[in-house]
Amino acid sequence: MNMLKEIETEFQERDFSKPRNENIEIKIENLSMVYQDKNGGEPVTALKDVNLEIKEGEFISLLGPSGCGKTTLLRIIADLLQHTSGKVTVRGQSPRDIRLQKKYGFVFQNPVLYDWRTVRRNVCMPMELLGMKKPERTSQVSKMLDLVGLSDFGKHYPYELSGGMQQRVGIARALAINPEILLMDEPFSALDEFTREKLHEDLLNIWNKTNKTIVFVTHNIAEAVFLSDRVVVLSPHPGRVSAVIDINIPRPRNMESKQTPQFYDYITKIRNSFEGV
Amino acid sequence: MLSKKEKYQVNLVWTIGIILVWELGAFFLDKVTHDPMAGTKLPYLHNVIISIAQNFTELISAAGLTFSRAVIGFAFGAAIGFILALIMSLSKIAEKIALPYLIISQMIPVLGLAPIIFTLARDMNISRIIIAAYITFFPVAVNMLSGLNSVENDKKELLYSYAAKKKSIYYKLMIPYSLPYLFAGLKIAAPMSITASILVDMLGSSGGIGVKLLYSLYSGAKDVFWGSVVTSALMGILSYGIVILFEKICIPWRKQIT
Repeated sequence: MNMLKEIETEFQERDFSKPRNENIEIKIENLSMVYQDKNGGEPVTALKDVNLEIKEGEFISLLGPSGCGKTTLLRIIADLLQHTSGKVTVRGQSPRDIRLQKKYGFVFQNPVLYDWRTVRRNVCMPMELLGMKKPERTSQVSKMLDLVGLSDFGKHYPYELSGGMQQRVGIARALAINPEILLMDEPFSALDEFTREKLHEDLLNIWNKTNKTIVFVTHNIAEAVFLSDRVVVLSPHPGRVSAVIDINIPRPRNMESKQTPQFYDYITKIRNSFEGV
Repeated sequence: MLSKKEKYQVNLVWTIGIILVWELGAFFLDKVTHDPMAGTKLPYLHNVIISIAQNFTELISAAGLTFSRAVIGFAFGAAIGFILALIMSLSKIAEKIALPYLIISQMIPVLGLAPIIFTLARDMNISRIIIAAYITFFPVAVNMLSGLNSVENDKKELLYSYAAKKKSIYYKLMIPYSLPYLFAGLKIAAPMSITASILVDMLGSSGGIGVKLLYSLYSGAKDVFWGSVVTSALMGILSYGIVILFEKICIPWRKQIT
């Protein structure tokens, strides 16, 4: 019942003038992940000796080319995959414990909506699993659809929506049970540039309003720079952290932030960090 | 995608076309080749319609008898198929054990099985129901199972990430996802269950459309025979139509496809 109360409370707006919380939310120590080849071939090392600390309320991006293990890393944090060695702790607990406490919101590369449910009922689904009562669900769904700007589309089925709208439903659903950690796996990679830019701003607004920790996987350098507090650059074969870059572009950020020399400096810096690989 | 008006036009053209071809064919046999058996080989459509109208109550009661038993058998068969698919999806071992035998069961010809069932059950109605159920459960089970097995991984992972219980996974994901597959099976099975029920009629029942077919064929009542054939065909079409109707009600999110 405690959780319900928490959802009831209004989100607190982020105050950028205050110093940021420095508590460690996710701690990754010497993490390695080896995939065994089922056909008896060579095992593949997807991640090797990854060390990373993610702070509470931070927006962090995992950036890298295909095969660098960024999605693998995210899925290990989400407890969708089991790592082979090393240690992952989330708030001092295992990823599994956090998953069982339903503290994760996961946004997939595809929207992964249930075709047989309307937009409202898609957003509602995690709350049903949590055992929330119907009146609370209804009001929370309305709030979430408001947040992602889809209030007028609640009764539509997924096939009636554009790709960008579907992805926003996926985000609303992930936020519906007010998870403390939002894990996003290339959520905008299948969208066109215009929709993506719109969703970038929407996502930052939501992040401002909700104080969540967001771990965001992407292969788009500009996207990572624009959104993140820190960008973790991963390099492939085997996947490992090759650089961690603080992005000190002032917040709140908007389209103008993308036209500053600072923005381009960061992109160049990150691109160069790949050159050395 | 056809509009409603265009669909109507397509249907109209087909109906008129069939009527024309039928009448012309009958005319050809009767007046051009002067076939003495023309009335048996292909009677005029209007004669068939007249015969149906004249024997309407008889045909309807016979058809109703056969149809209602087929529907009961179909419902049982569909339920059994559905449950079998769920069991096989829940346990890979159950699937490995059951599936080969289910396939073998379908290799026994119904024509041979029906008399055996009849001797065992000693009741026409029960035999009709059992045979209709026997015909139905297999396509339903196999289609439903292929639906349950083709649920995309990320849809399952979503529920996994919320630590959903097995019951919720089936209620919220597996079963609704598989409904279109289930209906594909039901659409195959519905006319087949009618055929099976007619077949059982022919084993020596006292009523039913199958009996009408058989007696009129032997007694040379060619118009009644053709009337019965058309009635049987309509029963099959009706059963299919009912399944489609249920599909539309149960699967509103697929409106864009049909």
